[in-house]
Amino acid sequence: MEIFSGLINGFSIALTPVNVLFAFIGAILGTAVGVLPGLGPAATIALLLPATYAISSPVTAIILMAGIFYGSQYGGSTTSILLNLPGEASSVVTCIDGYKMAQKGRAGAALGIAAIGSFVAGTIGIVGMTLFAPKIAGFALSFGPPEKFSLAMVGLLMAVTLSSGSVVKGLIMMALGLLLASVGLDPISGKTRFAFGVIELQGGFDFVTLAMGVFGLGEIFTGLESAAKSEIVTTKVGQVWPTMKDWVASRMAILRGTLIGFFIGIIPGGGAVISSLVSYAVEKRVSKRPEEFGQGAIEGVAGPESANNAASSSSFIPLLTLGIPGNASIAMIFAALMIKGVTPGPFLIQEHPEVFWGVIASMYIGNVMLLVLNLPLVGLWVQLVRVPFGILAPVIILFTAIGSYSIQGQVFDIYSLIGFGLFGYLLRKLKFELGPLVLAFVLGPMIEGSMRRSLLISGGSFMIFVTHPISMALIGLFALLVLGQVLAMFRKKPLLET
Amino acid sequence: MKRTVTVLAALLFTALMLPAASMAEEAYPAKPITGIVPMAAGGSTDLLARTVERFWTKYSKQPLVVVNKPGGGGVVGTEGVVRSRPDGYTLYLGYGSGHDVVMPSLQKMPYDPLKDLVPVARLSIHSVVIVTGANSPFNSIKDVVAWSKKEGKPVTTAVSVKAGAVDLALTSFGKAAGINIVTVPFSGGAEATTALAGGHLMIGGGHPSEIIPHIKAGRFKALAVALPQRDPTLPDVPTLREQGIDVATWGSIKGVAAPAGTPKEVIEYLEGTLKKVCSDPEFVKAMANMNQPIMYQGSEEFGKFIQQATADYLEIIKRLNITIN
Repeated sequence: MEIFSGLINGFSIALTPVNVLFAFIGAILGTAVGVLPGLGPAATIALLLPATYAISSPVTAIILMAGIFYGSQYGGSTTSILLNLPGEASSVVTCIDGYKMAQKGRAGAALGIAAIGSFVAGTIGIVGMTLFAPKIAGFALSFGPPEKFSLAMVGLLMAVTLSSGSVVKGLIMMALGLLLASVGLDPISGKTRFAFGVIELQGGFDFVTLAMGVFGLGEIFTGLESAAKSEIVTTKVGQVWPTMKDWVASRMAILRGTLIGFFIGIIPGGGAVISSLVSYAVEKRVSKRPEEFGQGAIEGVAGPESANNAASSSSFIPLLTLGIPGNASIAMIFAALMIKGVTPGPFLIQEHPEVFWGVIASMYIGNVMLLVLNLPLVGLWVQLVRVPFGILAPVIILFTAIGSYSIQGQVFDIYSLIGFGLFGYLLRKLKFELGPLVLAFVLGPMIEGSMRRSLLISGGSFMIFVTHPISMALIGLFALLVLGQVLAMFRKKPLLET
Repeated sequence: MKRTVTVLAALLFTALMLPAASMAEEAYPAKPITGIVPMAAGGSTDLLARTVERFWTKYSKQPLVVVNKPGGGGVVGTEGVVRSRPDGYTLYLGYGSGHDVVMPSLQKMPYDPLKDLVPVARLSIHSVVIVTGANSPFNSIKDVVAWSKKEGKPVTTAVSVKAGAVDLALTSFGKAAGINIVTVPFSGGAEATTALAGGHLMIGGGHPSEIIPHIKAGRFKALAVALPQRDPTLPDVPTLREQGIDVATWGSIKGVAAPAGTPKEVIEYLEGTLKKVCSDPEFVKAMANMNQPIMYQGSEEFGKFIQQATADYLEIIKRLNITIN
C-alpha cells in the first residue's frame, strides 16, 4: 500500500503541466538523439546539464534527463533498421534482422514492432521497478569482477555465434574486435598500448566511430557500386504496420526480451548490450524456424529491442536505491541530482519521496508519449528509404562525421571513421559479419578488466571463476554452449541448433 | 520539422565544441570561458566543476562552460589545456589530481604539470579514506595489519585507478605497515566503491564524496584518513598517523589552472571570481552536501602548495620504492 500511495503522489507531481511538458521535451529530444547517429544520450544530457541549473525543482530536471535517456532507446532502432547504422552498442543486434526486413520491404513492420516492443518492455520494466526496486537492488552488487568476466564471456560467445555465416570468420572478427579494443590505456596498469606516439590514440577508439564507420559508411561505399539503382535499401515500402502474424510471432519474444533486459540491465556496466545479445540468442534457440534468423525474422527485432528498453528502465534501480550509476547517461543524471542537493541512494525514498516517485511516475507517462510520438513517425521514417541514394548518402556521411567529431572534439575521429568505413567495405566484400567485430570491441575491455581484477584478487588463481557461484553457473552455461556448438559442427548442422 | 530540430541541435552542439575564434581586444572576459574537466562526467571532480559552473555566473558576466575530456587517467584533457591558447578562455578544472602530482614521479609525461600550467586557485582537497565493508571483521587499521600478519595473506584493495592518489596512499600504507596490500584498479571511483560494497574485496580507498553516502547507508566503515590532519568532512575518523602508521599524503587536490603564459590580470580576475564563489553561502551549502570540503587558496599560495605536494609525493615514492609495472 505504501507503494500505491507513493505512486499516486508521484503521479500528482508528474502530471503537473510543467513536468508533463519537460517529459515531452525529453521524449522528443531523446527520440531525436536516438535517431541521429553519433549523438548519444550521455552527450546530450551533458550538454543540457547547465540548463538544468535554471530549473528550480530537481524532479523536473531529472524528468527531462530521464526522458532523453529512455527516449533515445526508442529512437536508436530506427537507423539500425533503415540504414544498418547502429547508434549504440545495444542496437547492433537489431541491425541483423531489422535491416534484412527493411531490404525486403518490411521496414514498417520492423519499426512498428520495435516501437511496440519498446513500449511494452519499458512499461513492464517500470512496473517491475515500482514493485521490486529496493528488493532487487542487491543483485547489482553481487556482480563483482569474476561474475562480470563470466557474463561478458557468455556475451562474447553469443556475439560470435549470432552470425549465420562461418564460425571461423566470426572468430576472426571477434579477434579483430578485441584487438581494436586494446588500443589506448591498459585498464589495469595505466600504460599506453598501440598508440604509436599518436596522442589521439591514447584514449583508444570510440565505439560510435567504429560502428558508424564499419556499418554506416561501409554500407554507403558498398551502395556506391550499385548507385545506378539510386536506392540504399529498396523503394518498396510495403505494409507500414505489423500484421497479425507478426504480432503473434513477436509477443512472446517481447515478453522474454523484457524479462532478460530487466534483470541483466540491473548489472552496472554493459547490461543493455549483453541483454540484447542474450535475447537474440534465446529467440533463435526457441524458434521453430531458426533458419529465418539473419534473413529478416521479426522476433530478432522484437526480442532485443524489448530487452534494451527494459534494461534502460531497470538501470535506474541501482541509481535510485543504491546511489550507483551504471552507465554514462545515468552518471550524468547522478551528477545533476547531486548538484541539486539530492543524494541518490537508499535514503532517497524517505528523504526525497517526491523525486523517487515523481521520476517513476513520469516514466510511465513518458513511455506512453514515446509510443504516441513514434508510431506515427514510423510512416515518416519509412519514406526515408525512398530518398534517392545520391541525396541520402552524403547526408549520412555528414551526420556520421559530425557525430564522431562531437564525441571528443577531435578531427582525428573523422579520419578514423573514414578508415573504418573503408575497412567495413572490405569486410563486406569478403563476406565477413560485422556484428561480432563491434560487439567484441564493446565486450573486450569488460572481459580484460574484470579478468585481470579477478586474478589480482585471487592471487593469480583461475579457480576464482568457478568458486564464485554466479560465475560458475555462467561458466557452466558457456561450456554447454561451446559443447553444443562443437557437436553441431560435427553433425554439420546450422549453428546454434543442437 | 523534426529533421530541422535535430539538425539545429547537431549544429549547436558542434558550435559549442569548436574553440571560438580569437576575439577583438575587449575587456576580459568577453566570451564564455571553457573549463576542461579531464575526467568522466559524474565523478567528484566533475561534480565540483559543475557546482562552480552553477555559481560562476553570479560573479562573472561571462559563463563558465564545463567540458568533460576524459581519457588517459586525466592526461589527455590536461594536455588539451596545456596546448591551448593562453588567453584565459580555456581553463583546467581539477588541477592537483593524481596525474598532476603523482604520475610525473612515476612515468614520462607529455608536459610538465608544474611548468606548463599556472595555478589560479585551490578549491578543495579530496582526502583518501580507507574503508571496509560494514560486515567486515576489521574495525581499525590495526585489525587489518594484524589479520594480514597472522594469516600471512595479502589484503585485496579496491582503488579507482592505477598510480592515482588513492592507489598511492594504500600502497604506501602497505609498505609502511609491512603487509601485502594488493591494489585492484577499477575504471573510476564509482566502480571501485561498487565492487567493495558488493563484498568483492577486503578494503578499499576513496574520497569522502564517494564513500560518505555508503557510510551513511550502512555499507561501509571508515578505518582511516591518509592526511596529515583529520578530514573536516569526517571528523570522527582518525588519521593513519594516529593509528601508528607513518603515512600521510595530500590526497587529490582540486584546483583551477590556466595554460602557462596567461596574462597576470586574467589570472587575478579568475582568482578573485573563484574566491567570491567559494565564500557564497549557497556554494558552501552545495559543497557540504557533496561532502567536499572548501579549502580555498589564491594563485601564489596554491602554486607553492602544489610544488610542495609534488615533492612530498616524490619523496614517498622514492622512500617506499614504488614503481608502476
